[in-house]
Amino acid sequence: MLAYYCHLALRSFRRHRVLTALMVLAIALGIGASMTMLTVLHNLSGNPLPTRSAVLFHPQVDPRPARLPGADPEPPDDLTWQDAVNLYALPGATRRVLTSTNWLPTRADAPGSALAMMDTRATTADMFAMFGVPFVYGTGWSQADDEQRALVVVLTRSLNDTLFGGADSVGRTLVIATKVFRVVGVVEDWNPQPRFYDLGSGAFSEPAKLYMPFFTWLDLPQDYGYGPMACWDHGDGTHDPKAPNCTWAQFWVQLDDATQVAAYRQRLENYSAQQHQLGRFQRAPNVRVRGLLEWLDYKRVVPSLVRMQAWIALGVLLVCLVNAVGLLVSKFSRKAGEVGVRRALGASRRAVFIQCLVEAGLIGLAGGLLGAPLAWLGLWMVRQQPVPYAAQVGLDAPMLGFALLTAMVAALAAGVWPAWRAARIAPALQVKSL
Amino acid sequence: MSPIDSIRPIVRALRSHRAAALLLALEIALTLAVLCNLMFIVAGNLQRARTPTGTDEADIAVIQSIGVIGEDNPGTAGSNLATLQSVPGVAAAAFGAPPLWRVDRAALFASPDAEQPLARPYLLNGSQGLNRTLGTRVIQGRDLQDAELPGLMSTFGDTSGGSADTRQFPALLTQALAEQLYPTQSALGKVLYTNMWGTPISLRVVGVIAPLRAAITGHPDDAMAVVTEFKVAGEGLGGGYMLRSQPGQLAQVLPLAAKALQQANPGHVQQMVKTMAQLREDTFRGDTALNRMLAGIMVILLTVTALGVGGLASFWVQQRTRQIGIRRALGATRTDILRYFQIENFLIVGAGVVAGALLAFALNQWLMQRFELERLSAVPVLIAVVAMWLLGQLAVLGPALRAAAIPPVVATRST
Repeated sequence: MLAYYCHLALRSFRRHRVLTALMVLAIALGIGASMTMLTVLHNLSGNPLPTRSAVLFHPQVDPRPARLPGADPEPPDDLTWQDAVNLYALPGATRRVLTSTNWLPTRADAPGSALAMMDTRATTADMFAMFGVPFVYGTGWSQADDEQRALVVVLTRSLNDTLFGGADSVGRTLVIATKVFRVVGVVEDWNPQPRFYDLGSGAFSEPAKLYMPFFTWLDLPQDYGYGPMACWDHGDGTHDPKAPNCTWAQFWVQLDDATQVAAYRQRLENYSAQQHQLGRFQRAPNVRVRGLLEWLDYKRVVPSLVRMQAWIALGVLLVCLVNAVGLLVSKFSRKAGEVGVRRALGASRRAVFIQCLVEAGLIGLAGGLLGAPLAWLGLWMVRQQPVPYAAQVGLDAPMLGFALLTAMVAALAAGVWPAWRAARIAPALQVKSL
Repeated sequence: MSPIDSIRPIVRALRSHRAAALLLALEIALTLAVLCNLMFIVAGNLQRARTPTGTDEADIAVIQSIGVIGEDNPGTAGSNLATLQSVPGVAAAAFGAPPLWRVDRAALFASPDAEQPLARPYLLNGSQGLNRTLGTRVIQGRDLQDAELPGLMSTFGDTSGGSADTRQFPALLTQALAEQLYPTQSALGKVLYTNMWGTPISLRVVGVIAPLRAAITGHPDDAMAVVTEFKVAGEGLGGGYMLRSQPGQLAQVLPLAAKALQQANPGHVQQMVKTMAQLREDTFRGDTALNRMLAGIMVILLTVTALGVGGLASFWVQQRTRQIGIRRALGATRTDILRYFQIENFLIVGAGVVAGALLAFALNQWLMQRFELERLSAVPVLIAVVAMWLLGQLAVLGPALRAAAIPPVVATRST
């Protein structure tokens, strides 16, 4: 029966070529425009590490004084130096990473090489395994390297291309902040978006060019800043990373299941209580252990204009739907004579209704098929824009399927009322007028 | 025939096409509501991108020059400024950052131990000459004078003690900030407390200046700013060095200045050399991209609506072929038929735009609550109403011309 309906629908398309083309085009434009915007939103609000996000957590403690004018009840995002060191030593996490960002003057060690400031990520040994950063050459450094403040560095592929022409540079050396570092590994240009691990220095900004051991970095001969620092209490010497009233270090842990999370939370509470007893913390334990996605949500990472785009997309889709309803009404009304004959020959209302819906669905499918390349074109145009997140925007298979499904469902929904109208056509009346 | 007489039968005829007419009006209304709000967002973005900072933007540039320890850096902050000022065409130079370049905000307090800040304006701080480089215009009181500035090292180098009162800086407030802080009296001579780089300081207001926006976000507090200076001399300072050229000479002067500064500090890395025009472009890059996207969406919306209106109109014409033939046979001219469809479309679109305008304001109300959008003004709505009317007339023109071309003889045919 369905094949027959499809056949009828195709015949109808041939008879009303222009009207059918108009409807397909209207649905395609609506689907193309709304899918473009929804894909941008999907990419930006997306999960930066889909395979690992469930086990990555962001612990927070509250070292601020009890009385602080205008203080947020939420604990600070980052850790102070003292808490960073203490929590790094705290057991209970499968893996943990202490990290911060910086610019460091870097040059190849060949004489006369140009000096340039490089975006650097200072981090601890677990980072590469914990965040799943893929290596091109070599490996990361070890925990022993961290402890010994070893002068080792991991480059990104693009920096390795610039400095060493893309060759396996493991064992080669670089001059960073006047010290000689040995390359131990080269990683891919890894840049999950949003850049969850350090939102303070930009959620959609450029990735680091090189990675070096956290404690080695703190031992460098000069202060190059320690990433965005948040201080309270107008204390002295706030540019000292070891100041007790400044937070600047990002801390992440891997916790494999709910019991581990609960146990870790308890450890943080105990730690806070202990620090309270020691007189370092003045507040009652105020800890958070947010999962990666919860953290992104808390930090409201997705730009509000992008969230607004999703509503605009829905508006556009709605206009297209109403448009499709109007066109379907006119299309089915034109078939009044044909429907009348079929009814007179014994077709049930249900059969007419289903046949009209099949026709609407086929139009939706055609609209969706045409809309997908339009969405692809739209996303290509978005990628041409010089905005930091543009490079991330792309159409993946699930999104494509979603677009087609949306087109079909939209066209079917639009077809219900016109089809119902068509099915109501009385057989006798129409036959009489022929 | 008066216009009313020609409208009445059209309205009556519309009743028998309620469904189609309603759909058309609904589509017009929805399109209008979405279109108005999109236009409003784009207009807001464009307006923000044109908001002046209040400085001599065309002639100001910044060189970010970062020192590397262990490299050869004979230049001091004082000698760097002298180097810049000696470049031909440089009118003024200072150590510090211009607006649109990550200017920090500072909480201002009424007393050193106050807990509630009075305001959180932008704090533009830099070396002597910052006000001259920015081109601040004093409208009350006087400008900052180099002789009264505290030294950078003597203020911040010694962190061992002293109260905020002993670390006092002369300051300029923008008029917006002065009026918010002191609505009934003059701001001149008042003392405010804040902190700079984590050190508590006090500010003595010596002048009120014309609007100076350190950031352009669209919030009213963009125009709230404090300008203050400290004296630099022998410090080795890396960071932003700002310069203002003689009018219109920035393009020639900036490369020379960057080269001179690099020669004075061979061990410095010039991380960024940018004019304020470039900073402005960077700032609004995202807005520009969004505007382009929204403009594309608007074109698509209008196209879809035009297709819908045209499609429905052509269906009507076809459905009424016989009636049109009868009217033609009874003496109606082609112009009468054409006008009939145009008036009909005008009425339907009219109903649509009235509903759409109401819907537009309702949608804007919701967007205001959710996304802190501003209140929709009448202008974009009026523009969109006219656009929809024109669009409707254009979309119906083809089918109406076809209707007018129907010969009277079809009245005698059966279908």
